[in-house]
Amino acid sequence: MIRHLYRLYPHPGVLVRMGLLHLVLAILQGVLLGMLVPILRALLRPEPDLAAATPWLVAGAVGAAVYGVLKMIATPVGFAASMSLAAQLRHRLMRHAATLPLGWFTGGNKAKLSRTVTTSAGNVAQLASTFGPPAITGTVVPATVVVVTFFVDWRLALLFLAILPVAFLALRRAGRITAEADRELDEAATEIAGRAIEMGQAQPVLRAAGHGTTGTARMRHALDEHRTRYRKGLRRSLVPDLTYTAVVMVGFVAVMVLGAQFLLSGTLQVADAVALLVLAVRFLEPLGTLTELLGTLHAMDNSVTRVENILYTPALKHHPKPVRELKDATIEFSDVTYSYGGTPALSGVSFRCRPGTTTALVGPSGSGKTTVTRLIARFFDVDSGSVRVGGVDVRELDHQVLLSDVAIVFQDVYLFDTTIEENLRIAQPDATHEELMAAARAARLNEVVARLPQGWQTKVGEGGAQLSGGERQRVSIARAFLKKARVVLLDEAGSALDPENEGAISEAIANLSQDPNRTVIVIAHRPATLATADHVIALDGGRVSEAGTPSELRATGGTFARLYNQYEHARSWHIGAAPAP
Amino acid sequence: MTTTDTTTAERTAPLDNPPRGPAEEDNPTLVRVGAAARLLRPVRRHFITCGVLSALAAAAGFLPYLAIAEIARAVLTAPSAAAAAPTVWTWVAIGGLGAMLRLVLLGFSSHVGHYADAEMLRDIRVRLVRRLGVIPLGWFRSAGSGQVKKTMTDDLEEMHQLIAHALGEITAGATAILVGFGYLLFVDWRMALITLAVPAMMLLAYRVSMRSMPAHMARLLAAEGRISAASVEYADGISVVKAFGINGRLLDRFGAAVREHTAAMRTWVSEVRYSSALCQLFNSEVTVLAVVFAAGLGFVTAGELTFVDILPFLVVGVGLPTSLTPLIQGNQGLRKARMAAGRIDALLNREALPEPAEPRTPTGHDIELDRVTFSYDGATNAVEDVSVRCQPGTVTALVGPSGAGKTTLASLLPRFYDVTGGAIRIGGVDVRDMSSETLLSSMTLVFQDVALLRDTVTENIRIGRPGASDEQVREAARAAQIHDVIERLPQGYDTVLDAVGGGLSGGERQRLTIARAILAAAPVVVLDEATAALDPDGEAAVQDALATLIAGKTVIVIAHRLHTIASADQILVLEGGRVAEVGSHPVLLARNGLYARMWRAQQNGDTA
Repeated sequence: MIRHLYRLYPHPGVLVRMGLLHLVLAILQGVLLGMLVPILRALLRPEPDLAAATPWLVAGAVGAAVYGVLKMIATPVGFAASMSLAAQLRHRLMRHAATLPLGWFTGGNKAKLSRTVTTSAGNVAQLASTFGPPAITGTVVPATVVVVTFFVDWRLALLFLAILPVAFLALRRAGRITAEADRELDEAATEIAGRAIEMGQAQPVLRAAGHGTTGTARMRHALDEHRTRYRKGLRRSLVPDLTYTAVVMVGFVAVMVLGAQFLLSGTLQVADAVALLVLAVRFLEPLGTLTELLGTLHAMDNSVTRVENILYTPALKHHPKPVRELKDATIEFSDVTYSYGGTPALSGVSFRCRPGTTTALVGPSGSGKTTVTRLIARFFDVDSGSVRVGGVDVRELDHQVLLSDVAIVFQDVYLFDTTIEENLRIAQPDATHEELMAAARAARLNEVVARLPQGWQTKVGEGGAQLSGGERQRVSIARAFLKKARVVLLDEAGSALDPENEGAISEAIANLSQDPNRTVIVIAHRPATLATADHVIALDGGRVSEAGTPSELRATGGTFARLYNQYEHARSWHIGAAPAP
Repeated sequence: MTTTDTTTAERTAPLDNPPRGPAEEDNPTLVRVGAAARLLRPVRRHFITCGVLSALAAAAGFLPYLAIAEIARAVLTAPSAAAAAPTVWTWVAIGGLGAMLRLVLLGFSSHVGHYADAEMLRDIRVRLVRRLGVIPLGWFRSAGSGQVKKTMTDDLEEMHQLIAHALGEITAGATAILVGFGYLLFVDWRMALITLAVPAMMLLAYRVSMRSMPAHMARLLAAEGRISAASVEYADGISVVKAFGINGRLLDRFGAAVREHTAAMRTWVSEVRYSSALCQLFNSEVTVLAVVFAAGLGFVTAGELTFVDILPFLVVGVGLPTSLTPLIQGNQGLRKARMAAGRIDALLNREALPEPAEPRTPTGHDIELDRVTFSYDGATNAVEDVSVRCQPGTVTALVGPSGAGKTTLASLLPRFYDVTGGAIRIGGVDVRDMSSETLLSSMTLVFQDVALLRDTVTENIRIGRPGASDEQVREAARAAQIHDVIERLPQGYDTVLDAVGGGLSGGERQRLTIARAILAAAPVVVLDEATAALDPDGEAAVQDALATLIAGKTVIVIAHRLHTIASADQILVLEGGRVAEVGSHPVLLARNGLYARMWRAQQNGDTA
């Protein structure tokens, strides 16, 4: 655990300092307790000998003063450590995230990253300072007491020593069983959470079916299951939990019995016996608190695991001597196979797109169209075969160089929460106003800007919420113009929602392909886009099923022709139309 | 075990009829007072038993300490070791007994506490499910299913902490302090007060250090929010970040958020560093030890006490701060649980959608909107004075610019919200005079958000008409053109769909809900036309399924692409919540108003 923690931080010094400070404090505490022995020896005689006790009392007073000062120092050190550790960990997590392949950033992983950076990193840092000190006290003080006891009575010292391993074993077992029960209960709770979400979403359906106030049978089952598991877990962990307390208690009683026995048999001085009984209490009490720390440790373990899961995700591989210049925008797939795990998303895909052309990717959903575009931008690396841009394998290209020449216009265009101008300027910070306007015109973004209340200075809201999906895509296309990207990857999306945008985007795509140095690859759904493409690649089940010009493929009557007709049919659909034959 | 079983049986009876006084229904702020107490009412007896047992356990746990102190006193005051023997062994026995008793009581207390906890969790969840089933559907739209999940799991988790842990900690800690302090008072009241002064100082320091916590916590949470937002923004915009090489700039924003968090923390720390350090100091055994020694030496030299009298303070007094820590922790848990209880209670007491005392069943399926007005906030009307009649077998389209009130109007039909003026009648019966079940089963809602249950495909379709045969389910699937897709799934109709739909594309999941609707065969269909366009690759198939579904029904469709509703029987053009125009496509075009303008804009877009 400690090693895990240590490895998480680039500058673990503060962690070490804090640990050392508390180690010193705990030893000092143990030694101060140990001083009870000579002090009580002197004072508990029939005739108290204050003179004999004085040096010890003075030493004790000095020790207590030092302890007090260190304890006062430890608090701010702990705070500072907690702050520094949280900041360190957060920066480290984000720096690492920056090196991860784009493909890693799925919805689930994004949520995980944000939760880990915010909550888990904070927890780990905080727990390191709230868990560490009592854990050190709980173990080091008893250990010191044992050492001191050896000087007084080896028999009782041996007894103390015997209690320690038994107590630790009991503690470990209790921890393990509780963790198991917790995990089972977590599963049941997750099931309830899932059912709760479903209940929220499907409420009208449930009510129509008369399940409104009872929930579905599965919901009721999930609730019962949670209760059952809870009780079962409780039955399982109750005894192990108590075992630990029992061990400490038995130790306590054993010390009492043996102490009384030695005392009455005259093999132990009265004063020593009293001192040792007091020590026994101080020895056993910190042990008792250790069990409370288990829960904390468990929580920390989970947080550390979450942090590690992200930190140890492999970064995108860097070529030792990357090519730093893109000769041209030719895109070439040769025998590319890629799988997300499970059945291949692409297998044996080969094609070539030349600069100055527009290639349309078509195929039913799940056929691998999006994967093709992702591999070009190196969201992932191919399993076998190669993807070349400008004749160079993308794995040998400097990733930044590649991305600086690729514009990605996907369905979920993300805009930053700032003005529309700022969002465009990201593409080329020093663009002149004329350049900005030209890009906006080419992407037909100028119409959008003209409509907005503050024009270019309009804030687009978080994620671009103030703009419609189609309008966001236009911003994204304008960026491509502005940065003069030579490769444009575009997903036409279900822009059918909004016919005005649809037309504008179509025109913008046509404008993009005017540049003789630019290669445009578009995942197309609109007959208009399909018809004007120079080249069509039809995918089916991760393989290229057809390739050619649109007119050729429409004539052959294969995948493309079928999809083309389907899109046509969908577009002319109206309420009251007869289902397709 | 028998006792607990009987109590369960007793409890289930009132649970079926949750108590709801008028105050609880009407005044949500009032009922939040004592929300935790009310929620715990069904398990009150367990709760009290658990507290008493844990107090007894703490008291029994004190006996070994008492025994050690008394043994020491006995041997030191007795003339000889032998003379002290009977007393010593008596105290050893008492101590041993106390230890054993503590163990047993602790076990029982924990058992009862957790038992009550399991019971309470289920009880509250069942009540939540029941309440969620009667509150207006509109709440689910605004609050979202995330809110349901949060209350059903996270808030209850806080309550669980209270029952299972905080309760025991607080009673045990308080008892230990009271009993210990009582004993010390008995030994010597002056020394007892001095010893107690240390934990008292600690509490004082704690209060001082916690005084400004709410303000600092708020700032810290805000900073954490910014860290979270910055990391979300970074991750969401990652492809833009990388493509435009603006990594540094965005990480700057993150860095600023982290710095702000550290700064907030630093301000807080610098303000409370002394009070918290003092708190730690007074919380330490060494401090008590030093105080006991200093005071004790004083009293002894003054001839007031003997060293023997000091011993109980070394044994019992030094341990007092240890009992205080769980008390403080338990108190924090209590505060959190009370907040969670407030949120749960608020949901449990959310006003139910009024159900008619004598529900009526409509005779026909024509829909009549009669001067319908609706306002979300009571200030501005989202829908105002809308009247229209829809005959069975006709299609009525709702069109208009975004924000015109199309979706709001459509959601008044299934009573997601109740009209604030006018009335909606189906078959001549006001929707508010029908039972929810009758109303909702008389209509099919096809909206963009697909609601699948995590159940088998068959059950997902069958919920449209509970009791339908497998063959009827298949027939509906065929009509929705989804049968072949289902057959290709690993377990066919028995495949269990997970939260994301289990290997089905968006359009396929959409068609599954349409199959459900086809099976339900409700005479009224409320449809969002955009549904069909969710998945471009499956659009045509969804459209075909929809065409089958709406044949012969009273259809109300929210339209975005005007050409899809050009042949509708009537088109209601909304603007700012009011009816701007109404008529058929050719009539509206001829009027050359809003509809005609929208139509031309879309046609231009299409041909551009």
